[in-house]
Amino acid sequence: MNWPSSMKRRWRTGAGLALITAAVLAVSGALALSADAPADNQAEAKAAKKPAAKPSRKKLTGQELYAINCNRCHPERYPTEWNPSQWKTLLLHMRVRANLPAKQAKAILRYLQEDAGN
Amino acid sequence: MKNHSSICSVVAAGCALGLALPRQAWATVSDDDFNALKKIVQQLGDKVQKLEQGHEQDQQVHQQDQQKIEQLQQQLGVTQQLATNAVQKAEAAAQVQPVHPLPAGPAATHNFTLAGDAEVVFGRVSGQHSAFALADFAPIFLYRANDNILFEAGFDFMLANNAPAASGTAYGFDLSFATIDYLLNDYVTVVAGNMLLPLGTYSERSAGWLNKFPDNPLPRGLLPGNGIGAQLRGALPVGDRGQMVTYSIYGANGPSSVDGTGNSGSLDLGGNVGVLSGATSLPRQYGYGLPGTTFSTLGNLHSDPSGGGRVGWFYPWKPHYDLELGVSGQTGEWNDLGNRWSAVVVDATLHVSPYVEVKGEFINTWVDTSDLGTIRPNGWWVQAGYKFSGLNLDLPLVNNVELVGRYDQSNDALAPSTKTDRYTAGFIYYFSNTLLFEGDYEWLNSRGPNANLYPSNELLFQLSYGF
Repeated sequence: MNWPSSMKRRWRTGAGLALITAAVLAVSGALALSADAPADNQAEAKAAKKPAAKPSRKKLTGQELYAINCNRCHPERYPTEWNPSQWKTLLLHMRVRANLPAKQAKAILRYLQEDAGN
Repeated sequence: MKNHSSICSVVAAGCALGLALPRQAWATVSDDDFNALKKIVQQLGDKVQKLEQGHEQDQQVHQQDQQKIEQLQQQLGVTQQLATNAVQKAEAAAQVQPVHPLPAGPAATHNFTLAGDAEVVFGRVSGQHSAFALADFAPIFLYRANDNILFEAGFDFMLANNAPAASGTAYGFDLSFATIDYLLNDYVTVVAGNMLLPLGTYSERSAGWLNKFPDNPLPRGLLPGNGIGAQLRGALPVGDRGQMVTYSIYGANGPSSVDGTGNSGSLDLGGNVGVLSGATSLPRQYGYGLPGTTFSTLGNLHSDPSGGGRVGWFYPWKPHYDLELGVSGQTGEWNDLGNRWSAVVVDATLHVSPYVEVKGEFINTWVDTSDLGTIRPNGWWVQAGYKFSGLNLDLPLVNNVELVGRYDQSNDALAPSTKTDRYTAGFIYYFSNTLLFEGDYEWLNSRGPNANLYPSNELLFQLSYGF
């Protein structure tokens, strides 16, 4: 079939976008499923049996994640400035706007809600 | 007989002894023992009285409980009656209009929150009178329908002088963005609507109170700020120290043509919404319509939407110390002649303490035109800020000051081209974490046929408030 070049390009663009979208959805779905699966108890048990080569670093707290992620774009907002429900909405907004990973956004939300205003 | 008489004598002796001994025992009870016994008896009497009182109270509570049970039974009866009526009505409705029942959505946990910012700008521009140049109110409406769905819309209400064309003032109203965000899972969010385009990071992080300068970098004028379309975006955490890879991929209407032609002066970065309808005088090649419609300039003036995206890498080595790098781009037709508009943006941001920030972008675009062939408008900008609070001086006013500087340049790549570069030095005074006062002086140097569009220098002040 002798399609015009613009048609070919359109098909290529559409197919490319569809392919990338499908790949993103497939990978994210796999990651989400693996994250939702029960914790890898066997691996954890093995790790517990083996003596740790290095002392593992402490997991970042919500406050630390807040300092890492939020202050790089705007001055610090204090937990008391919003109530817990408003923080939930704002963190949803910031999770989308700043591309925050879900777990980090949830940890930050917990930190902000702990001392939230009324 | 002898045995019988001996038994009788033993019994008689026993009876005599039994009568004698109790008399001896009564005789030995003392007054102390008697009083002790009397006290015990009195205590027992008190206890009995208390138990009787408790019993009466229990009976009263029991009566109250019974009354409550009766009330609840009555309410239950009413509820059952309502439920029965509802079922009957539903059955009746189903008989009248059989509809396939849809599954209910999650229970509403909605919340409405207002955020945003407001600015007032005073300008002293070379060759012009000084004046208050802008009053801007930019609210962001955030409606969280539930844990996974957010609707957000950002507006810009601006007031500007109407002179010299007319008296009074003019109101500007702009929908900066309006999207529905659906969090598909931990790694993908679907965004649809009028989106801020992730070409670099400036569009998404440039609200008035976030920007360290009252105006935008020059080369940002080469890019569209927003677009109608749909987007997938998210982040993949790397390790557990805050490092992550972020991505955005989108399809949007993209830039359009002001008049449907492909000439270099017709590029419209901010337009392009809707479909064609209504009458027009434009010739056929400048538009296509839905069946039954004619052509107009109201709708898309190109057949292909644009595609684009951004990939970023964020590496924090400790809080307030981080590096972010990103590459983004977009490509698509911008008119019905098949001319394409494409862009690549490289962005970087560095923080080396809570007090030092450096960031910038390199922007290159390719525009297919009917009159000049493919031109390459481009530019770059870099800015830095230093907060005096890092000096740990015992001077509260000075600690609230941040010094800022910026260099930016832009080339429109027309023939002949106009090149402009600008140096900016200024400060920010933080009255609070949300109320900022900015002052900048800008030196501009522009060469080319459009150089008269730029002043030689500007003094700008801006008061901005984020909420």
